[in-house]
Amino acid sequence: MNMLPEGAEERLLSNAKLIAKACEQSGVQQWDIVGFQSYGHELDIEAGKITMAGGGGEGGFGVRVVEDGTFGFAHLVDVSGAQRAVEQALRIARKSPSIDNFVLPSEQKAQRVGGMCDQNILNLGPDDLLEQADAILNAVKSADKRAIVTGGGVGVSATASCLLNSEGILESGLSTSHGIGVQVTIDNDGKMTSSYQGDSSRTRLVDVPDCVAHAVDWAVKTQNPIEVESGAKDAPVLMTSEGFSPLFSVVVPPAMMGQKLVRKESFWTGKMNQNVMSEDLSIHDNGLLEGGFSSGSRDSEGVPKRHQSLVESGRLVNMLWSTRDAAQQVAEGRIESANSTGSAVSRSHQSPPSTGASELTMTSSRGSRSFEQLLEQLDDGYVINGVMGAHTANPTSGDFSVTTSSILRVVDGEIVGPLKQAGLSGNLAKALSGNVVLGDDVRRQGSYSSGSMHLPDVLLMEGLRVNPA
Amino acid sequence: MFLWATMVIAANQGEAHKPSSGRYLDQEKVRKALDSATTHGASYAEVRLVSFTQSSVAMRDGILERAIPGQELGLTLRILADGAWGVHSTTDIASLPDQIESTTRLAKAVASRRADGEKPIGLAEVPIFEDEQHWNSKLDVRNTELDTKMDLMNDFYRGASQHKHVVSVTTGWSDEHIHTELMTSEGMDRTWSFQRSLIHGMVTARDEGEVVSYRTRAGGQGGLELIKGVDLLELGEQAQTAALRLLKAERAPSGKMPLIADQDLTGVYIHEALGHPCEADLVAAGDSCLDGKLGQKIGNELVTVVDDPTLMGGYGAYPIDDEGVNTREKVLIKNGVLTEYLNHRETAHHFGLEPNGGARAQDGLHHPLVRMSNTMIQGGTHSDLDELMEDVEYGIYACGTRGGQVDTGRGSFQFAAQEAWLIEDGELTRPLKDVSVSGMTLEILKNVDGLTKEAELATPGFCGKGQTVPVGDGGPVMRIREALVG
Repeated sequence: MNMLPEGAEERLLSNAKLIAKACEQSGVQQWDIVGFQSYGHELDIEAGKITMAGGGGEGGFGVRVVEDGTFGFAHLVDVSGAQRAVEQALRIARKSPSIDNFVLPSEQKAQRVGGMCDQNILNLGPDDLLEQADAILNAVKSADKRAIVTGGGVGVSATASCLLNSEGILESGLSTSHGIGVQVTIDNDGKMTSSYQGDSSRTRLVDVPDCVAHAVDWAVKTQNPIEVESGAKDAPVLMTSEGFSPLFSVVVPPAMMGQKLVRKESFWTGKMNQNVMSEDLSIHDNGLLEGGFSSGSRDSEGVPKRHQSLVESGRLVNMLWSTRDAAQQVAEGRIESANSTGSAVSRSHQSPPSTGASELTMTSSRGSRSFEQLLEQLDDGYVINGVMGAHTANPTSGDFSVTTSSILRVVDGEIVGPLKQAGLSGNLAKALSGNVVLGDDVRRQGSYSSGSMHLPDVLLMEGLRVNPA
Repeated sequence: MFLWATMVIAANQGEAHKPSSGRYLDQEKVRKALDSATTHGASYAEVRLVSFTQSSVAMRDGILERAIPGQELGLTLRILADGAWGVHSTTDIASLPDQIESTTRLAKAVASRRADGEKPIGLAEVPIFEDEQHWNSKLDVRNTELDTKMDLMNDFYRGASQHKHVVSVTTGWSDEHIHTELMTSEGMDRTWSFQRSLIHGMVTARDEGEVVSYRTRAGGQGGLELIKGVDLLELGEQAQTAALRLLKAERAPSGKMPLIADQDLTGVYIHEALGHPCEADLVAAGDSCLDGKLGQKIGNELVTVVDDPTLMGGYGAYPIDDEGVNTREKVLIKNGVLTEYLNHRETAHHFGLEPNGGARAQDGLHHPLVRMSNTMIQGGTHSDLDELMEDVEYGIYACGTRGGQVDTGRGSFQFAAQEAWLIEDGELTRPLKDVSVSGMTLEILKNVDGLTKEAELATPGFCGKGQTVPVGDGGPVMRIREALVG
């Protein structure tokens, strides 16, 4: 059994070449084409049981045409409409402004990145997912009799993808993914606590990943809230990787985009080669990470991906560029020179490439601490495992004001109990430039908007304000 | 969360791919497929096809960044067998007959895992229709040229730019014509269509190290006439003024205090705090703080809340729900008493209630969930903002929304304002920024103690619940006696 039909990759590439032929017949100067075809199975879990099993397949192509520095884009499923799509893209290109020196990249040698496709996932069928869901439901029940999986599911997918352009770039490949997510709720005499945790991988996950136990654990931990004095106070906060990553993803990656930096839309504008974070902290983007969800040999324009340092020992040392953004900002005089950093991303075949990060990691030269050591250093403050409203954070300023019901009070380095609810506010850029201590357990966190993040628990000693309800 | 759960697109604009019959589905073949599902043991089967003809445009500082026309087409086969669901979603319409047996088998495999005593899934009965309903726009948005869209977007740009502190103005356009066909094993055969049009803009301003941005949107259910009816120059000017004001604004104080919310923020508040916990699929899943509270008083008598997909022009309007059920206004709270959940056929059966047209799917590749449409608090007795502020010694007046979120099980929620003012001794004094408000649904509904008379739908928005759907929210200007700010 194989989730991906035989010859899926070859068929996709063959169809992409038909679109390329349409570009050539229309006399397009330069073109690039991306194509995807995915298949998968999924299960929904609600109210402690499997409620739905599903499957299906989808795919499509995006075609970008470039003429004298202008570009147009169109997308299609049925390649019999290729000529029409190319003509539409050309019509749009002719209404678009020309960008001096904007040309599509030519072929450059790219490093092969492994770990993208797991035969064990390709062999999974709906019955395997049903067994995994059973195992998860049993594990939750075993961990705490009162715990119920009120939402979530299990899913696997396999995707064939291809990229080719008029300048000789041709790449195709297969990738797989396996994901689970569980919302665990405990009803304790009408007082509910809950926690959502998930995990995903390019390789087959174990039947019951650790995130299941974490979800139960946090639903249990946040029961029976303690009374604390109300009123907002500045306090050190230990944010778990799961609690920190939503805020990080909204605020930090956009600040490192070249276009935003030179357009003065980033809080780090004008700070290239200056300290922007605590001196021990570094942020890298590893586009070549084996088995990454956003890594690979090439970016969405065909430029080889790379492992690059963005913040090194607290200093902003690099910014992210796609070919088009770089050419545009140079042409408009906002920066003297800029080149692609292999950071073009397409969210799907429906949209043309833009700039984004791949696989961000944050590290500290001071080393890392166990959770217990972080608690000891925290001394008097809070642990937060999830926030509501991270998407309302302001990426241009770094300011945020969110709410949490997944918060524990810490006194003298010991957890003394949960709070019912609290506000958390501050400026993430400023908090990261203060005293920051990292944990030793780095976990991958997904983000629709900014690739993957590999973050440990993060202790922010300064710059945050906690407002218990 | 799953990779294939996105749309598939055809590049042709307009209805070039639409057959001359006006239908994508071959009715005879689909009827045979549905009959075959019954033969294989399905108690219910449906095929729902959705075609989105859409376009989006992005401009930055008056210059075209990208324009993307497209047509999306997706189909979902949903089969109920032995009291469990099997689903297959695809863009390959022709493959439908091949999926009937395997999808029925999938449903039965799920059903076989049901524990003893666990209730099988059933569907509440609904009237069966064979008809078409088309909400025709005054100006069909599919006929709008790119130049027209750019001219309108540039009106916003002209209003929003022209100030030394404004560093960029981005404008966006999106329109869609939604065509749905639904056929079921019960004999339902309905086709409906409508349009949505939206324009949005963001002004970013900078003064030395301070960078702020302000977003705004206009539009709703309808065609080009909706956008033409907006004074976009004025909308741009207002956005610029707000962004410049934010540059000077102070951080908001934190703590419990009176809060007055404008119509926009009132809408987000009621959407997050009450609307989501009223969704009966969450109630049935044990993930709502309103479980078991139908008929109970949960809010101040002032509070009456409706959800109404028939409110033409609202961004959440639709003529028929995605299970073919006719839409109607739902009164969720009447004078503080919880009177109705939002239901689809499955939850209506579960709770022994009437389906009320609350089933919505993001597109043809997703199955329907219980969703909101246009959700509003109805007006109260106060004449205006000034009257609401009269009694407030120290509080916040918050306007516009940057979004919100809710934990329906705990009943806790959060929403953020775009801008705000401090109220001191009944007067607006200083502008504030980064105001967020949080609370517990069952506490804060009781704390609503003032509403102005006029209620209106505010800015169009989007709601995420695994699937994203357009929604309308609104209400009057609302005062909450005590809310947690910051």
